[in-house]
Amino acid sequence: MTDRLQIEDLAVQLGSKSVLKGFSLTLAEGEHVVVTARSGAGKSTLLRCILGFVMPERGRIAVDGAALDIHSVWSLRQRMAYVAQEPALGQGSVRAALERPFTYRANSLLSGNLDRVPKLMEMLRMSTDLLGLDLRDLSGGEKQRVALISALLLDRPILLLDEITASLDRESAAAVFATLAGLRHQTILAVGHHADALPQADRAVALDRAATSGAPS
Amino acid sequence: MSAAIDITWLGMAAAYLLVLISFAILLWQQVPILGQLGMAVVRMSVQLLFVGVYLQYVFDLNNIWLNCAWVLIMITVADVSILHHCRLRVRSFGAPLFVALLLGTLIPLLFFTGLILQRPNILEARYLIPIGGMILGNCLRADIIGVRHFYESIDRDSRAFELTLAQGARLGEAIQPYLREAIQNAVAPTIATMMTIGLVSLPGMMTGVILGGQPPLAAVKYQIAIMIAIFTGTAIAVPCAILLTRKRGFLPSGPLNREVLVD
Repeated sequence: MTDRLQIEDLAVQLGSKSVLKGFSLTLAEGEHVVVTARSGAGKSTLLRCILGFVMPERGRIAVDGAALDIHSVWSLRQRMAYVAQEPALGQGSVRAALERPFTYRANSLLSGNLDRVPKLMEMLRMSTDLLGLDLRDLSGGEKQRVALISALLLDRPILLLDEITASLDRESAAAVFATLAGLRHQTILAVGHHADALPQADRAVALDRAATSGAPS
Repeated sequence: MSAAIDITWLGMAAAYLLVLISFAILLWQQVPILGQLGMAVVRMSVQLLFVGVYLQYVFDLNNIWLNCAWVLIMITVADVSILHHCRLRVRSFGAPLFVALLLGTLIPLLFFTGLILQRPNILEARYLIPIGGMILGNCLRADIIGVRHFYESIDRDSRAFELTLAQGARLGEAIQPYLREAIQNAVAPTIATMMTIGLVSLPGMMTGVILGGQPPLAAVKYQIAIMIAIFTGTAIAVPCAILLTRKRGFLPSGPLNREVLVD
C-alpha cells in the first residue's frame, strides 16, 4: 500500500505553549487511524496543521508524497475533508449548508453527489425532514452528522475527524462508526480522548507517546 | 438672490453665548461631560479658524498643485483615522487603505467637477476641496464600518471560515459572503440618508448653497449630485479597501492573519 499521509517530526508552538513535540505518523491508503490524547495536547492542532491552517515550527507533512507548504496547500487541501469537533456550518438551512461546498469551483463537477444525501441521512439515523430546518435549530449531535455528510459528499481520499461522536448518543455514534467502517477506499485520521473515537481503527496512536510511529502493522 | 451675509465678530460672540444655555442645562442635570463639551467647543473653533485661514489662502492662490496636495493631506488623515478605528496595524494596511480612499474620492470628485459642474479647471480649489471633503468624509465613515465589519466577522467566524477553506473554497470564494455583508453594512447609512433626505432636515450642502444666495432648485440639484457622488465614492472605496488589504489580511494558506489586528 502507498503512503497517503506522512507526518514527520512535527512540532508546533502556539504562543508560549508547545502542543506538538516531534510527532510522526504515516497513514497508508485506506488505513483508518485514531490518535488519542488528553485535552489540550494538540489533537485539533494536528488536524489544523494537516489542513495548512497552522504552520508548524518544525517538521514536514506530505500528502501522496507531495510536501505541504504555502504553495501546495490549496491543491492538497482538495484531497482532504474535515469534520470539526463543534462544526460551524455557517448560516441558513441544512440543505443550504450541504449545497454550499458545491458552489466552489473546486467541487462544481461533484454537485451530482448531492443525490446521495437521503441515503447518507438514513445511514446516520437522520430524517430528511431536517433538510429544511435552520442550522440554529439543530442539536450538537445533528450538526456533527450534517458536517460528516457534507465531508463524505466531497469524496475526498482523506478524512480528518475531530472527536466527531462527542455529542452523539450511543445508537447515533454506532451508525457513524458503521458508515465510516464501510469507507475502506478512504484514509481516515480521527482524533479523540480514547481509542473509541474510532473503534474500527486499524491502529490507535497516543499523541504524547508517539514521537515516532512507522508504517501500519 | 444676494450672497450669504457674513457673520460679524459680535454675532460670533452671540453664538458662544448660545453655548452657555447648553452648559446650564448640563450643569442643572449634572451630566458629567462639561469638560468634554468645553474642550470640543474650543477645539472646533481653533481647528475651523485654522482651516478657514488656510483655505482662504488656498482659494486666493488657486494653484492646482497646492489644491491636490491639500486633498492628499485630507486622504492621509482619513487613512490614519480608519486604521485607528478599525483596530488594524498601520504598517500593514496604511498603503492599501490610502489607495482605496484615493480611488473612492477622486473618481466621483473629478466626475463632479468635470462632467457635472463642467468647470474648465477641474482642480479649482473652490470646488475641489469642499466637495472632495464631503465625499472623503463619507468614504472614511463607510470604510471604517466596512473594513471593521469584514475583519471582525471573519475573526468571530474563524471556525466557519476555516471549514469553508477546508471544503475547497479559494480565498476569494471564502471571503465573498463577508465582503458582501461588509459592503451592505457600509453603504446602508448613505442609502438611509438618501431615503429621508429633505423630509427630516435640509441637508448641509443644500443649506450652504441656499445661504450662498442660490435659488432652492439650484441647491437641490447640487444636493442630488453630491449624494450620488457620495454613494459612488463609498461603493468604490469599501470593496477596494477590503480587496486591497486582502493580501496582508490573510495568511498565504488562507486563514485570517491575526497579526494585523490590534488587540
